[in-house]
Amino acid sequence: MSNENRNVLLEVRDLKQYFPVKKTKLREEQRYVRANDGITLDIYEGETLGLVGESGCGKSTFGRTLLQLYPQTHGEVIYHKDGREIDLKSLPKEEMRVLRKDLQLIFQDPYSSLNPRMTVGQIIGEGLTSHGIYKRGDPAMRDYIFEVMENCGLATYMFGRYPHQFSGGQRQRIGIARSLALRPRFVVCDEAVSALDVSIQSQILNLLSDLKEKQKLTYLFITHDLSVVKYISDRIGVMYLGNMVELAPTEELFENTKHPYTEALLSAIPVVDEEDKRERILLEGDIPSPVNPPKGCKFHTRCRYCQKKCTEEVPEWINIGNNHYVACHFPLNGEKG
Amino acid sequence: MGKGRYLIKRFVYIVFVFFIISILMFAIYKAMPGDPVVMMLGDIQSSMKPDAYQALYEQTKEMLGLNQNVVVQYFVWIGNMLTGDFGFSTQYKREVIQIIGAPMTNTIMLNLFAMVVVFLISIPLGIATAVRKNGVFDKAVQVLTIVGYSIPAFIIALLAIFAFAVKIPIFPISGLKTAGSNAAGLQEALDMLWHMTLPVLVMSVSGIGGITRYVRAAMIDVLRMDYIKTARAKGLREKTVIYIHAFRNALIPIVTITTWWIIGLFGGSIVIESVFLIPGLGKMLIDSLMQRDFSVVLTMQMFYVVLSLCGNVLMDIAYTVVDPRVRLEN
Repeated sequence: MSNENRNVLLEVRDLKQYFPVKKTKLREEQRYVRANDGITLDIYEGETLGLVGESGCGKSTFGRTLLQLYPQTHGEVIYHKDGREIDLKSLPKEEMRVLRKDLQLIFQDPYSSLNPRMTVGQIIGEGLTSHGIYKRGDPAMRDYIFEVMENCGLATYMFGRYPHQFSGGQRQRIGIARSLALRPRFVVCDEAVSALDVSIQSQILNLLSDLKEKQKLTYLFITHDLSVVKYISDRIGVMYLGNMVELAPTEELFENTKHPYTEALLSAIPVVDEEDKRERILLEGDIPSPVNPPKGCKFHTRCRYCQKKCTEEVPEWINIGNNHYVACHFPLNGEKG
Repeated sequence: MGKGRYLIKRFVYIVFVFFIISILMFAIYKAMPGDPVVMMLGDIQSSMKPDAYQALYEQTKEMLGLNQNVVVQYFVWIGNMLTGDFGFSTQYKREVIQIIGAPMTNTIMLNLFAMVVVFLISIPLGIATAVRKNGVFDKAVQVLTIVGYSIPAFIIALLAIFAFAVKIPIFPISGLKTAGSNAAGLQEALDMLWHMTLPVLVMSVSGIGGITRYVRAAMIDVLRMDYIKTARAKGLREKTVIYIHAFRNALIPIVTITTWWIIGLFGGSIVIESVFLIPGLGKMLIDSLMQRDFSVVLTMQMFYVVLSLCGNVLMDIAYTVVDPRVRLEN
């Protein structure tokens, strides 16, 4: 799949997000958790970009920082709208608030992300009134909410109920309906299906794909589940310890893996067919601390191809053709056997 | 439906608890040393012949119903109580119902004012500090509230008197009326407000300290929740996020603590009323205890009991208003 002729929706340049670590001693030097440590990528209009990585590698932080839910530490997020290029970081709060209509987020946990004090109708409708799409108490709004609910597979009688009266799958649909009601252009799905059981997962994934077709959405799909990401994504980015290590179209990433970490991740996907069975690469040791990451390539402590250069130099983020980006001194070569 | 049945159940329960407490109270006051008849007759003993005094003593005892069996006394007392006859005050030599009205009005007025002041200040302050958590403003308020919370009311009272009645004499320090004034209507009300300023100020200080800290803690808990991020991600105004989404969810712990605080206010004002010489329930309770005036003391104790029991039910009802997940059942 070629991306050259597509329009860029979001341009991310060297995005960094550090969180201060609480000091334990009075005169200690301030240390930071480097949740995102310089991420550069483009997100194209109409694509689904999958983002995978171990827990704690900064995937969710990346999604939230993109949407400016955290004040970003460094870098630029440029949003392209109607030919204008808007740097989200420099926007005043009120303008950012208005832009949130376009940039939405579906949360990981359908239990804690819905206000327990509000009915489904209020949860979905609140964004509409606050962005002036409908006036408060407009009867047309009710009809519109019904329509959105039906699109997301929710029955209209649920309108006046509270979130605690629903199951996890239904709540996730409420979360989806809430974000899609605003007719956004870009949606970050932050582990949107991880909390659900497998049969509900596929329902929700299909729902998301349908809605994407209907509303011409762009997704950033964050997950740790490789089979989900393979199913839904056009391109996949792999993150490790706050950095992007590989980014490629889905087919390309699976067929022509370049980064040893990606290789290890992919080898962990369970396969049904005995003939497809490949060598399982076990990553040894724990993920290093993001407060004090290893020097050079952050992955070198667990990489089975590690060489001296890896411990000293930070590998560059390079395009090796075919829209395939990788950050490794010694990218793997050849097709996987 | 569930709600009606629940309330009936609660009512039955209240009545049950009420009677048990009334028995305990009655027993405790009966067991207390001191003879109410002697206290009532007072100094007459020295000016009367012994047998005449004895006759008067017996007569008074008969009138107060104290020569009967304790169990009978209890039933007579509780029966009268329920029909609105609160007994005879040995100290004031009048029916309790006649002497209890004015102090009760004063106490309730005082407490209502204090309550309004406390809520008007502590809720916005608690929210503001939670939003600016760990900032300079928050830290300063934290220190001030812990000071206000931990200094006993009578010390604050003395400090307030020193500041606003001695150094800058702008407020009166005792009573609720200017002595000798016969102002009426608005004039009288203003005079009363002027007298109430210092007591209300003192009562508010510790309330503000405590409630502000509770509001802050509850808000900080809520502001951490994911649905607050959802609300921000929706693109709501920050005011809506904080006052509608966060504060409404923080209300449950706030309702609990304020209910108990309100109930406590009626008893806690004893100290304030004594310091400022306000004829209120607290002062009356102390005076009556000193004089073994059991009718008055018991009446007031039962007032507190009813207050606490009703407060509990009101708290439960308030929960359902505040949180749709709470249902009144069983």
